Amino acid sequence: MVEKKGPVDTSHLYEGKVVRSSAPSRKRAAGNIKRDTEIPMDAVPEVFVPSWIETIFGGPIVTKTEFLPPDRMVTSLQIRASISLLILCFLTFMITPVSGTVWFSLSNILGITFLGTIFHLGLIMIGLVGGFYGLFQRDQRALLASYVALMIVTIRFAGSKVEFGLSFMPEGEFSQKLLLILYAIILVMYIEVSSGIIRFSMLDTSIRKGEVYVMNVNKITNRYGRALTVTPVVAGLVASLTLFINLIVPFFVGIFDPVAANRLRESVELTSVYGVALGTMLVFIVIAAMFAINLPLRIQQYMESRN
Amino acid sequence: MAWSRKSAIFASLSIAMYLLGLVLRNQQLVTVAVVLLSFLTWAALRTAHGDVSSSGRRIEDNQLDEGVQLQNIVAMRKVSTSRVFEDGEIDVVVRLQNRSNIAKVIEVRDRVPEVMRIKKGANYVLMEIGPQRETEISYTIEAPLRGFYTIGPVCIRVQDEFGLFHNEKEIQLYDDYLVFPKMEDIKDAMIKSRVPKIFTGAVAIRNPGEGSNFFNLREYLPGDPMRKVNWKATARQDGKMMVNEFERDAVSDVVLIVDSREVSETGPVSRNSLVFSTRAAASLSQYFLSRRDSVGLVVYGDEIVSVDRDTGKKQLYILLTKLAGAMAKGNTPLKIVTNRIMPHINRGSPIIIMSPLEDDPTIVDAVRDLRSRSFEVTILSPSSLEFEFDARRLDRTGYEVLKTERDIMISELRGLGANVMDWEPDMLLTTALAGARGF
Repeated sequence: MVEKKGPVDTSHLYEGKVVRSSAPSRKRAAGNIKRDTEIPMDAVPEVFVPSWIETIFGGPIVTKTEFLPPDRMVTSLQIRASISLLILCFLTFMITPVSGTVWFSLSNILGITFLGTIFHLGLIMIGLVGGFYGLFQRDQRALLASYVALMIVTIRFAGSKVEFGLSFMPEGEFSQKLLLILYAIILVMYIEVSSGIIRFSMLDTSIRKGEVYVMNVNKITNRYGRALTVTPVVAGLVASLTLFINLIVPFFVGIFDPVAANRLRESVELTSVYGVALGTMLVFIVIAAMFAINLPLRIQQYMESRN
Repeated sequence: MAWSRKSAIFASLSIAMYLLGLVLRNQQLVTVAVVLLSFLTWAALRTAHGDVSSSGRRIEDNQLDEGVQLQNIVAMRKVSTSRVFEDGEIDVVVRLQNRSNIAKVIEVRDRVPEVMRIKKGANYVLMEIGPQRETEISYTIEAPLRGFYTIGPVCIRVQDEFGLFHNEKEIQLYDDYLVFPKMEDIKDAMIKSRVPKIFTGAVAIRNPGEGSNFFNLREYLPGDPMRKVNWKATARQDGKMMVNEFERDAVSDVVLIVDSREVSETGPVSRNSLVFSTRAAASLSQYFLSRRDSVGLVVYGDEIVSVDRDTGKKQLYILLTKLAGAMAKGNTPLKIVTNRIMPHINRGSPIIIMSPLEDDPTIVDAVRDLRSRSFEVTILSPSSLEFEFDARRLDRTGYEVLKTERDIMISELRGLGANVMDWEPDMLLTTALAGARGF
C-alpha cells in the first residue's frame, strides 16, 4: 500500500522557504540517471544572495512586497495622497524659485540659463510623476524617488528671504509665512499618507491571507482618519508659533516696554531665519519641559483611571 | 519606548533639514523641519512617552517602561489539550481584558513555537478593545513534529496611529504541551505480509491467535482460511464446518533501541533518521503492547535513557513521552548500550534497533555480541543519505560512495544473522518491517 503525498510545505520550518525534499523529476529520473546526466532544475533549491547594500543595511532599503488589489481604505488613502501631491507640486512650483539653487548657479556658469530652470522643473515633475506611479502601483521605490526629488528642489540659498517662483503671490509677511506652513504641512502629510498606503496595503494583504486578524477594523481606520485631520492642525499651530516669533515676542515685551517691542518688531534678526530658530528653541523648550515633568504620562494615568 | 524605523528617519531628516535651513538661511527648509518635529512630538505625546524623558527614576518606576497604556491589559489562555500526536491539532483561546477606562488599539501576538503551523484563526490580532471590555482570540495549531513545546508569552503592543512609536509588553503566560511521535497502524500490514508470527518468544499466553499450539475448536466463520478447517471434527459435526484455533505465541520481552546520537538528526528538520526512528518505535510499542507483550525502550545519545519492560497503556504513555523528548545529542557507541542492557534481557528476546548505522565503529561488534547470545536482532535503518540527497545537500558522487559503504555495512550485519532494512524515505513502516524479515 503506497500512501499518496502532495508536496510537503516546509515554509514554516525554513524561514518562509519551501524546501522540497524530493523533487518530482528526481523520482522520475530514478534508475535512469547516468554519470553525465544533468541535475534536474527543480531539484536545486533557490538560494537568495543579498546584495552588498542589503548586507550593509541588514536588509533591503525598500522592501519589495506584493499586495492584493486595494480595498476601500487603501483606495481612499490613494485619493487623499494624490490630492496632496497635486497641491504639493503646485505649491513647490509657486514658492520655490530656481534662483539660489546649485543647478541655477551651474547653468549660469555654463551660460545656458534655461538649463537650470529645466532641471528645476524636471525635479518637480519627477516628484509628481514618480509620486503618482508610486501611489497607484504601491511601489515604494517610486515613492522614495518622489520624496527625494521634492526635497532636493527646496535646497537653495535663500538669504533669509521668502521668495516665490510666481509673481502674483502675496507680498505680505503674514500670508507668505502661512503659505510656507501650508506647504510644509502638505509635504509632511503627503509623506505620511503615502507611507500609510503601503502600511494599510500590507495589513490588508495580511488580513486577506489570514496571517493577521483584525477586530473592529472600522474603528481602527477611523482613528487613523481622525489623526490625519488633527495632527496637521497641531503641527501647523506649532510651526506658526515658531515662524511668527517676531510678532509673539514683541507682543509680550510690549506689555512692559512698547519702545523695545517696536524695536524688536523691526529687528532684521528676528524676522530672518535666525528668528525662526529662536522661535523653535522657545517652543521646544516648553515641549521639553512638558516631557520633563512627565506631563503626557500623568495625562494618560488620569485618563486611564477616571470613571 | 521604541522608535520605529520611520520615526528615526523622520527625526534625522528633520534635524538635517533644520541645520541645512539655518546654513542656507532658507525658511522653507526650516519650516518643513519644524512641522516634521511637531509631527513626531505630537505622536510621542499621544503614545504617553513622557516617562522616558524624566530622569532620576525610582526602581519601582521601571514598570513604566511598558507604558501606562499596557498596564491594564490582562491576558488569559486556555488550551484544548496538553498532549497530542504529530499532525494533531490544539485549540487555543486567549482572553484579553482591558481594565482601564479608555479604548485602546492593540496588537496581540500569542507566541507559538516556530515549527507549529497555524491551521485556523490567527495568533496575531490587531484590535480595538473598548473600556472595561474583554474579547477572545481563538486559533488552532497543528503540531508537525514531536517534542516538548511551550505556547507563550503573549506579546502586546500599542502604538500611535502613524506607527512612529510603540510600547510593548510581554505577559508571562505559558502553556506547555507534549507532541508524541506519529504512530502507524502496523497490525493490518502484518497480516498482509503473511508473517503471522514475526517475533517468536518463549512464553505462551492463554489467548487465541496466531500460534502453533492447539487452543480449541470453533465453528467456521467466513474469512477463516481453509487450512484451518479441522475435517475430522467437521465430519463428526454432520457437515458443520469446524476450525482449529491456536494459542497465540507471545513475545515475552521486546526491547526497542533508538539511536538519538547527533548524527541521527542528519537531514531536514522534519525528515531525518531520528524522526523516522521515533515514529517507528512508537508504532511498534503500540503494536506489541496491544498484544500484551512486555516492551522496554532504550534511547541513547549523549546518555543512555532506558525504560524498563512493562505492559499496558501506562507503559505506552511512558514510552511515548520518552520518545517525544528524545534529543539528538552526543555520540555514545552502540556497544556500550548493548553491554549495559544484555544482562537484563531474556535470551531469545527480540531486539529492534532503529539507527542510521552511521559514525559508529562498534555497530558490527555489538550486533555480533547480541547474535552470539541468541537475541533476535532486527535493525530498521532510516537512510540519512536519502534525506540528504533529497534535500540536495549531498552531491551524486558523495551519495554513491556513501551508499556503497552503507550497503557493505548492511551486508555485513545481515551476514551476522540480523534482519536489516535499509529504510528509505516515503517507505511505510510495515513495508520496512516486512523487508527486514526478508518478505
